[in-house]
Amino acid sequence: MTVPNATDVGAGDHACLTFTDGEDRLDLIAAFVRGGLRAGHKVVCWTDAIEPDGLAGQLAERSVKPGAAIRRGQLRLSPVSDSLLGSGAVTAAAMVDVLSGELDAAAREGYPGLRISADMAWASRPVGGVEELLAFETKVADLFADGRLCLICQYDRDRFDAVTLAFAAKAHPKTVAAQVYYEHPLLRICRQYSPPGVRVAGQLDYRQRDVLEQALGESLRLDRNPRVNLARLDYIDGACAGVIVAAAMRLPRSRRMTVRCQRLVATVLDLVGAGSAPGLRVQVSHEQR
Amino acid sequence: MSSGDPAAPRPHRRRASPSRPESVDLDETFDVNRLHMLRQTVAAHADRLGAQEDQVERLIMVAGELATNAIRHGGGRGRLLLWHHDDALYCQVSDQGPGIKDPTAGTSPPKPLAGESGGRGLWICRNLASELTISTGPDGHGTIVQAVIPR
Repeated sequence: MTVPNATDVGAGDHACLTFTDGEDRLDLIAAFVRGGLRAGHKVVCWTDAIEPDGLAGQLAERSVKPGAAIRRGQLRLSPVSDSLLGSGAVTAAAMVDVLSGELDAAAREGYPGLRISADMAWASRPVGGVEELLAFETKVADLFADGRLCLICQYDRDRFDAVTLAFAAKAHPKTVAAQVYYEHPLLRICRQYSPPGVRVAGQLDYRQRDVLEQALGESLRLDRNPRVNLARLDYIDGACAGVIVAAAMRLPRSRRMTVRCQRLVATVLDLVGAGSAPGLRVQVSHEQR
Repeated sequence: MSSGDPAAPRPHRRRASPSRPESVDLDETFDVNRLHMLRQTVAAHADRLGAQEDQVERLIMVAGELATNAIRHGGGRGRLLLWHHDDALYCQVSDQGPGIKDPTAGTSPPKPLAGESGGRGLWICRNLASELTISTGPDGHGTIVQAVIPR
């Protein structure tokens, strides 16, 4: 049932994206938006925890250029309160009507399909109406019959109780979650979906060398030009820096690996031979701790 | 960072014995379970001594690599001393391991494709420190590595 990769979600799918890490959510949404735009579908993001402008900026940081798509009407970012929830009382039937209206509009505008991502954070607030949300998730099933609609509903695991999450997971035929290789308060190694690669945050030393090798190995198999996001990595030791440089050294000439990191990490990569790997680009990010 | 390019560090001709501090700012014993904590403690003390961010970063790297060497090759545990003199920070790590036979270890760049024991740690330390001395413990056992991190 679990689909670890958001890019595997396509026309006719109704998926539940559960997350605890905000970066994971944005990353998966970016991959979802990018896939939809590339397929020539209309893409709508109903936002809640993040404002539309904020989301546009986050998409741009993840290799999705929202500006042109927004201008030509292919992409729309709007608050869930102005769209899905409408102005009256929040009811499951009204929400299904909104969705069905969007589907008709996309068809009239000539799009072969419609992708929607909806942040369901609103339902966790006292006035939200989690019962209506759950009824909506069940009733909406008919809209997927002709294979034009693809809907990803975002559930923040920290906001919803376990019973609601279990129900939500059941109401969705698919589940989307980021692949996490290692999770600890001091270190997190996970797959990055947009741009595709690996993300490492925290402090990394030789004890997690094997996990790092596994994550990089998988990215090298899946991604032509892997992006290694170390922007939130505060420390790396020589052993792990060596793993990254060695991975880049083994790339064939036609491929490259791009590492984004803080100055300290760039220095260590440099000292263990980053300069001798022709396919390795190291970009120092200014996003310091 | 002043040590941007991995230029070959100057070999230290003086067969120096470690300098002795009048008083130390930090004296910590460590093993693998305290590696994270050690790096954090070292950084906090350097901050408190008024070191610049860049100098603290170099110190964390050097302390981390020296402690890792002690844990992995020097018997699993060690002791770290940190003190300062003028603007420079002194970091000394000692262990009770078999010792480092070659006092010039880490003076040539590691091969990027070398495996686990690629000798990266001491190379990194020599590049980030202005002076690095490797000596044997007072009773003929173990290793003492002392690094000077200039401002």
